[in-house]
Amino acid sequence: MNRSFRLRRLPLYAAAAVTVTLCLFPVYWMMSTAFKPTRDIQTDTPQLLPTTWTFDHFRTAVQADGFALFWRNSILVTVSAVLLALLVALGAAFAVARLRWRGRRQFILMIFIAQMAPWESLIIPMYIISRDTGMLDRLPILTLIYFMITLPFTVVVLRGFLATIPPELEESARVDGCTHLGAFRRVVFPLLAPGLMATSMFGFITAWNEFAYANFLIIKDQDSRTLPVWLSSFQNTFGTDWGATMAASTLFALPALAIFLLLQRHVTSGFASGAVKG
Amino acid sequence: MRFRSIVGATALTLTAALSACGSTDSSAGSDGKTTVDVWLMRDSVSSEFQQKFEADFEADHPDIDANIQIQEWDGIGEKVVAALASNDAPDVIEVGNTQAAQYAASGGLRDLSDKVAELGGEDWLDGLAEPANHEGAQYGVPYYAASRVVVYRKDLFEAKGIDASTIKTREQWIDATTTLNSGGTQGIYLPGQNWHVLAGFIWDEGGTFAVQSGGQWEGALDSPEAMSGMAFYQELQALGQGPRDSDVASPPQTDVMAQGEVAQIIAAPGAADLVVEANPELEGKLGFFPIPGKTADTPGAVFVGGSVLVIPTASSDPDAATTFIKELAGDEWQRELAATMSYVPNKTTLVDAVEDDPGAAAMAVGASQNGHTTPIAPGWATVESENLVHDYMTAVLTGGDPAQEAASASEAISRAMNSAS
Amino acid sequence: MTAVQERTADTGRTPGRDRRTWRSGRSGGRRRPNPWPYVLIAPAVLGTAYLLVYPLLRALIISMQDFKLEQLISGDAEFVGLRNYQELLTDSRFWDVVGRTFVFMAINVVLIMAISSLVALMTERLGRIWRALVLSALVLAWAMPVLAATTVFQWLFHSEFGVVNWALTGLGLESFDRYPWLANGTAAFAILVLLVVWQSVPFAAITLYSALTTVPGDLYEAARLDGAGAWRIVRYITLPMVRPIFMLVTSLEVIWTFKAFVQIWVMTQGGPDDATTILPVYAVQRALSSQQYDLGAAASMITVLLISGVLVFYFRQMFRQEAEL
Repeated sequence: MNRSFRLRRLPLYAAAAVTVTLCLFPVYWMMSTAFKPTRDIQTDTPQLLPTTWTFDHFRTAVQADGFALFWRNSILVTVSAVLLALLVALGAAFAVARLRWRGRRQFILMIFIAQMAPWESLIIPMYIISRDTGMLDRLPILTLIYFMITLPFTVVVLRGFLATIPPELEESARVDGCTHLGAFRRVVFPLLAPGLMATSMFGFITAWNEFAYANFLIIKDQDSRTLPVWLSSFQNTFGTDWGATMAASTLFALPALAIFLLLQRHVTSGFASGAVKG
Repeated sequence: MRFRSIVGATALTLTAALSACGSTDSSAGSDGKTTVDVWLMRDSVSSEFQQKFEADFEADHPDIDANIQIQEWDGIGEKVVAALASNDAPDVIEVGNTQAAQYAASGGLRDLSDKVAELGGEDWLDGLAEPANHEGAQYGVPYYAASRVVVYRKDLFEAKGIDASTIKTREQWIDATTTLNSGGTQGIYLPGQNWHVLAGFIWDEGGTFAVQSGGQWEGALDSPEAMSGMAFYQELQALGQGPRDSDVASPPQTDVMAQGEVAQIIAAPGAADLVVEANPELEGKLGFFPIPGKTADTPGAVFVGGSVLVIPTASSDPDAATTFIKELAGDEWQRELAATMSYVPNKTTLVDAVEDDPGAAAMAVGASQNGHTTPIAPGWATVESENLVHDYMTAVLTGGDPAQEAASASEAISRAMNSAS
Repeated sequence: MTAVQERTADTGRTPGRDRRTWRSGRSGGRRRPNPWPYVLIAPAVLGTAYLLVYPLLRALIISMQDFKLEQLISGDAEFVGLRNYQELLTDSRFWDVVGRTFVFMAINVVLIMAISSLVALMTERLGRIWRALVLSALVLAWAMPVLAATTVFQWLFHSEFGVVNWALTGLGLESFDRYPWLANGTAAFAILVLLVVWQSVPFAAITLYSALTTVPGDLYEAARLDGAGAWRIVRYITLPMVRPIFMLVTSLEVIWTFKAFVQIWVMTQGGPDDATTILPVYAVQRALSSQQYDLGAAASMITVLLISGVLVFYFRQMFRQEAEL
């Protein structure tokens, strides 16, 4: 009985193994290439497991012009965009989920439409606007744009979370003498934490990745470039040095991979909750 | 109106708060100096030359701080456009001669006509000065020119008993390359998308990329002449292991020559230095000869490439920019540049600067006797940025029907060239 | 973890949700409008107005002007009405691009939804350890930044040292020896589909899986007691329960694949010979490479219209849910 049960489950586990392999192979291949010496990379018979390890490629990548600076810029832009989006979205989500007011429906519609904004197509107008307000070549303009790109999704997901928290909790806190804000901070906020994490992760990966605006709006001041732009120019400079390119990609991907893996369970449940609400 | 000002104020407050930890302002000089921001292209100067020039320039002009940034070729068109249209552009930009026409026509460049005489403009190379001239006004100063030659391994040629100086015709070239292409040796490393080389072969046959009739451009890759140029490219390309789907930059062909047994590459003579830099063992083993022509009495046609220096209208300090250009494009540094980088200097009167350099000498043969350039039209930049010729070459080399691919590429070129007016 | 999941599970079936939603505007009622909601949404509205609506209007204006490099630099452009739209709509190349965009979108969305549904169903049936393993793998693939993933795919399919060509050649397919993937239109298209699917399946699969977990177990049990087979259970219980989420994920994937840009731009720039040029790529080609900002803007406006057309469905779905609140 037990054996036949296992046998029946075999295809299931095989499928699971295939899924895991397909998902992980590109990530694995990136990292393993980054650790292989060049002669093992440029070979007609690639080795699935590196036989000799080297940190040379990482050294090349880290020592390339301005790596630390661009890393800092990226972190700065990304984190401030995400925080700004969370702050603004929290207010909006609260208003939508908990309060009743004229124009609520229209506001929701606006947020949903904003979610499909064709950002690639707005580069030229955005360029003109930033030029005319003296914002070209400066990181804050990127922060603002990334904030706007992530805002709609953040509002939608946070609204979903807020709707799952019974208002009675707040009310009882207020009965106990808390102010409106105090009740929100002590009772709702902790329950909202997973939602905040899920949305900040989405915001993080979006902003961390963004290339087109960073490339076009940062022109003269090369010290204000961000990592994606660096990664693409790195590929130009180092051309066929695939080891170094993969090391650079690894360094670029690492923060996102680490954060996602760390907060995995919140991602999983957080998005479902957001998606349930649309 | 009021609404907008509120929005603006909010945005300003936000950005002010953010910029506290944001960018650094590089243009303001701390000690009364002005900074001249210069964009030069990758490989246009060696870092040694750059340092030497910068130090010397700043010593001669103590009030100017020269800030040279090296730009990548990939995606440079968008970058230059963004710079030209901005309020705070770099002061000097190096642009390729085939791209100069569109920028000259755009209104984003300063008219330098009144500086031409002072800079010795009457001796400038036509292939550089002309594209930067729009409706009689000069918008760019020639910087340097270069064309391609065959860079070869003397030792591999000797081993097969081939004397490079006797290779004067295509037949001799193909024979020699076939002989060399045996064992572990590649006869020639020619990547599939080296369209500058293809251009020469097409011009040799009497063909061209596009012809103008009645104000309209028409792609001409499907002419019999252009197609036999492509056929020769294909024949030559097969005598080595050059990838059919990439250009000289990926992988850098100088690295390929440095690492492997490659008898020849087609490149500007300066490439030899890069090869030796990557593999010092090849020191003294590299030679040059002009690309062979169809007959022994004319060398093969070559594309004369090069760069011009321009000053954007938005430059904050055009005077300092002019001073910079005067030095870099002046006779003294032109001689130095020609000697270090093996370029053709920007004036016909300076050609003697490269006399003793075998690579530059081989280049001068082709460039002076059979030099050509791509169609001078704003739309040509589109053909380049959309990689139309690259795609055509790869399509034919990977087995596409030559006539069919040529026809569709010509159509694409017509479209690209006519749309940009 | 469990707390979160329980709450998530809750939302799927709370019929009593409506009992509490419309109650909060305590102070206002009908007498005096409460200013708080408006204060709370003000930053979001202002941000959207300045950073999205305003640029969008500028793009709309550009699409009706003669706007090239010269105008970008000088700032004043001539109004030409719908001429740019006319030029695009009468260009057969543009229609090729539109057609290709829909093909690209359809192939991707079908593959993504099919694969992720299978993965979600599979994950639900796995034991604890395997399930955690699969979820972690999905999350890792999902977290991989687009730019890094694209670079890695270029390396996987490298004609000379790529591991894919090595594997295919090793399997006896000699024609893949040094096969130049990105030089062939169909092959390049296929690689991009593969890349987009690889990147999109994790989100869809995880979301669908979470939706599956909200289906109450007693429903399955009851069905099984009634003698329903596996297929009938999926057909009559699972499907109806997850249908809303399935539709929403599908709609999101439609938007996302319609707007796929970075992958294509970095890998092929729309080539070879237009084989991978879809609408967003075309718009950027027009604007940034050819400096025809007017035509680029017009192409973007048409893209927006097309997406909205496709997504009327999405809004209907959304408002149906909204009405339940």
